[in-house]
Amino acid sequence: MTALEIGIASFPALMILIFLRVPIGLAMFVVGLVGVAVVTGRPNMALIRLKSETYTTFSSYSLSIVPMFLLMGHFATLGGMSTALFKAAEGFLGHKRGGVAMASVGACAGFGAICGSSLATAATMGRVALPEMKRYGYAGGFSTATLAAGGTLGILIPPSVVLVIYAILTEQNIAKLFIAAFIPGILAALGYVLAISIYVRINPEAAGTRPPVPMPERFRALLDVWPVLLVFGLVVGGIYRGWFTPTEGAAVGAFGTGLIAFLNGGLNWSTLLESFMVTARSTAMVFFIILGAAFYNGFLALTQVPQELSEFVVSQGFSPWFVLTLILIFYLIFGCLMDSLSMILLTIPIFFPVISTLDFGMSPEHVAIWFGILVLIVVEVGLITPPVGMNLFIINTMDSKTPIIETYKAVVYFVASDLVRVVILVLFPIITLFLVPA
Amino acid sequence: MHQIMDKLSRAMAVLGGLVLSSLIVLTCLSVAGRMLNTLLHGSVGALAPEFSQWLLDLGVGPILGDFELVEAGVAFAIFAFLPYCQVRAGHASVDIVTNFFPPSANRFLQMITETVFAIALILIAWKLYDGMQSKMRYGETTFLLQFPIWWSYAASLFAAVFAALAGIYMALVRIMEFFLRRDVLQTGAGAEL
Repeated sequence: MTALEIGIASFPALMILIFLRVPIGLAMFVVGLVGVAVVTGRPNMALIRLKSETYTTFSSYSLSIVPMFLLMGHFATLGGMSTALFKAAEGFLGHKRGGVAMASVGACAGFGAICGSSLATAATMGRVALPEMKRYGYAGGFSTATLAAGGTLGILIPPSVVLVIYAILTEQNIAKLFIAAFIPGILAALGYVLAISIYVRINPEAAGTRPPVPMPERFRALLDVWPVLLVFGLVVGGIYRGWFTPTEGAAVGAFGTGLIAFLNGGLNWSTLLESFMVTARSTAMVFFIILGAAFYNGFLALTQVPQELSEFVVSQGFSPWFVLTLILIFYLIFGCLMDSLSMILLTIPIFFPVISTLDFGMSPEHVAIWFGILVLIVVEVGLITPPVGMNLFIINTMDSKTPIIETYKAVVYFVASDLVRVVILVLFPIITLFLVPA
Repeated sequence: MHQIMDKLSRAMAVLGGLVLSSLIVLTCLSVAGRMLNTLLHGSVGALAPEFSQWLLDLGVGPILGDFELVEAGVAFAIFAFLPYCQVRAGHASVDIVTNFFPPSANRFLQMITETVFAIALILIAWKLYDGMQSKMRYGETTFLLQFPIWWSYAASLFAAVFAALAGIYMALVRIMEFFLRRDVLQTGAGAEL
């Protein structure tokens, strides 16, 4: 077998391992290590790489942003910011038909602005919003579907852990990617609100009503949201304005959020230890996947698979839009099965060279940013697509009385809204790139 | 036995968390120092030159080599987080296919997987030791703070040994489960982003 053939053969091998429930990071690590040994014919080559590669991967200054953002997200939960956000949104929207669900989406968007992860957003807002929706007579499946969809805003609205990884993989500017995600994130929230209003029009029995909150009270609730605005402005604004590096921004954000949580009485020694545990688990998971991907991608580069693939695509003379559509459909399907981070680490080193050789009539940097946002959105759609979308299961376990099939029925509206948004963002790259400085 | 491993992995996670928190505080101090320094050289310096000079002489400014400490510290923290993730079976995996398998088949797969995982973690720790030795031999130091790089390797190695231990422990648990034909350890779903 030639190196190229070994590289191609590694895909099915990797997929079989992953579907046999081998942890994704471990599967990539093993295939990468064995692959290097087979291609070079010297098993020692693979082991020599291990001498420094694990340390250099874990000691990366740019990647240290990841545990800091994860800790920050947990501090935000402890600081009661989820409750404040929900109350503020609910004051303005709650009395409308489907308004409590709309408020949940709004609060998810707000929480996404201080939390870089999807599940943490969904789980945190779920604890606050699910009981409220139940109280006002919202159907179980409708409520869980709303939160599963709302959770995806956590990863889309900056700061976003997955965007950080994408930026590092493709050597793009993190600040620019964060800014680019902003309008699509707002559009996503608006799209979900629209999906909710259509849903309650078709299923009026799915949502109860409640009297409006008096105006002064609404504004008082809005005032309680200031910590969120402060932290978001400081972190994303500071990185954007170049006051500090993304890692410094994450440190400032984690410190600020921790301080607010401490002042609110949410952070004490025992909750601090709890935050360490949650952060430890997610951080270790993320970095093992990053490590596995580093080895697997190193092996792939050795076999020339990414170069050959992009040369093949170019030589076929496909339309760039056709290739982009195919890749996005691929992500949509696989996004149902795998978490977004693993998907991106596994596939971007293969697809990104292909995309960068195609001519979309934009600068290479703009193509990279636009593609990153599109991929992120499509992978997240996979997370809420029935029957296998993972977010659906996770949210559904929070509400034991609702059968998963009810969640499926309601989430279809949100998935439809997502797909419409993807088409719009593909057709009009300017929406994503509008805020990005040249 | 499980209690010991659980306590150990939690202790390591706390240690990692404390190091991570210190890095956060260190980075914030460095940012604040740098901003103050800019102000003292700029507008504040023009308003109150003597006061500003006094502060600058005290050393108000960014912390030298802060990112070198972040790099060394975060590597240790991540290695220290691994045992807890291992013991809690927190690694991301895909279970839609295996859900259709009978429990015995799943136990078999788990046994193989965790054994391979343990081997991988042992390899990582062992090679990290080799890496540390070559850093020692060549006396490499960091650029700004000039501390020997092998110190950071040694700190990471300390945590990596615990990760390998946690891996071996989990492999033993899964082997036991396979032969006893029942679940010994209840673990929740994998962690996720």
